[in-house]
Amino acid sequence: MKKITIVSAILIFLGSCATVKEYEKVNINDPDMELTSKKISRFETNFQAYREAAAGANGGKTGGGCGCN
Amino acid sequence: MINTNNLLRILSLFITFVCTTAVIAQEKSKDTITVYKKKVLESTEVDLLMSYYTQDGDNAAVTGGIGTEELTDLTPTIVVSIPLNDDDVLTIDASVSAYTSASSSNVNPFDGEGVADPFVASSGASQEDVLTTLATSYSHSSDDRNDIWSVNAAIASEYDYFSIGFGGGYTKLFNEKNTEISVKGNVFLDTWNAIYPSELRDQPSFIPFEDESRNSYSLGLGFSQILSEKLQGSLALDIIHQEGLLSTPFQRVQFADVTDFNIPGQPFVYGDDIERLPETRFKIAAGGRLHYYINEIFVIRTFYRYYTDNWGINSHTASIEVPVKITDQFTIYPSYRYYQQTAADYFAPFNEHLSTQKFYTSDYDLSDFDAHQYGFGISYTDILTKFHIWKFRFKSVDLRFNQYERSTGLTASIVSGGLSFVVE
Repeated sequence: MKKITIVSAILIFLGSCATVKEYEKVNINDPDMELTSKKISRFETNFQAYREAAAGANGGKTGGGCGCN
Repeated sequence: MINTNNLLRILSLFITFVCTTAVIAQEKSKDTITVYKKKVLESTEVDLLMSYYTQDGDNAAVTGGIGTEELTDLTPTIVVSIPLNDDDVLTIDASVSAYTSASSSNVNPFDGEGVADPFVASSGASQEDVLTTLATSYSHSSDDRNDIWSVNAAIASEYDYFSIGFGGGYTKLFNEKNTEISVKGNVFLDTWNAIYPSELRDQPSFIPFEDESRNSYSLGLGFSQILSEKLQGSLALDIIHQEGLLSTPFQRVQFADVTDFNIPGQPFVYGDDIERLPETRFKIAAGGRLHYYINEIFVIRTFYRYYTDNWGINSHTASIEVPVKITDQFTIYPSYRYYQQTAADYFAPFNEHLSTQKFYTSDYDLSDFDAHQYGFGISYTDILTKFHIWKFRFKSVDLRFNQYERSTGLTASIVSGGLSFVVE
């Protein structure tokens, strides 16, 4: 019940977001606002996949493709 | 531990959340928009990347949880993105990871000239290896750029490991591109060429692995939303199932109920067995990003991830990066990352496992620890690509340094550099 309430609250919050028009996206389109990591960050994500048990949900390896954890 | 009910609950909540938001977004975007069709990628782009990684610690898994973890790795990489037409992009990504490792050298600690010592790297042939990876992806965007399909394939090879992977994904944008949902799937079919610790190979009591394959299947769901003119965020859920040989064949375990054996004058203790882990593993990772544009100088990038699996590991990751634009061309990137995990059910330090156990490992990557990572980067971007060599127009250069400190005592440093060009 608690989780449903949280998800509902987020949905209401998102529903209340005004649509940002293309000509209003000058700040959102800043390269540093991209919701992905820069290409050069891949090396950090990669060594973390070896040295840590957790992986995934960050655009990096999720397991497989290497002899890592 | 994960049970089916919890998994279904998490999955159903995520799907409900994404679907409902998508419906809200679609309702908002019913107004028709005339879209100017711009090429997805204007010109071929080439990225030359390189990293130098070094680490050290005293808990090498190859010698049962004690011994040097010294390792250095150099990884030159090239990424080429080619626009095939207005809608399609082909990306080729090739890298070679050349490493020197005390761990792998101590698979056979007796093939060097010195005494066998877990805290000294053997100088034998097994101390070096090369991992070669080739990955390619192809993406197609619809005319209005609201639908994107992609497929990918990869192969990776090193002396004792071979991997082939493939997958695909679909992304849908709604609400004047304010909302995005995505789904992706990947399969990796990997094979070990198992290398066992030298002293165990010929022992009659040693049982090698029968199945050397490792298959990994992952499903990823994503959702992102522009929340205001300066704020946007995303959620990601990865569900991974692995089966096969999930142990690392050359990692030793010493048992508390078996008498230690070593050659007089040589500190190296013979392994009692190799690590043995279950043949299946189920992982769930859920993460979120929130990025805020403060002003023309500062941006805040935050990330959080929760991870759990059925080996008993739970983990939290949080990071923050604050890009600071010093000039139009230069940006600096100070960052901090915190990581914490609980131990796998099968982990115990050197000489603490019992031979009666079914599963055991002394790999400190599966132990209980936290880690701090401090980073700094600098980037130079030439928007007008004025400087060029032949047909290659210089676009940007990046340099990053990260220091990693783990509560187990392991420390690591990584320096990464990148040059980006646009081909005329």
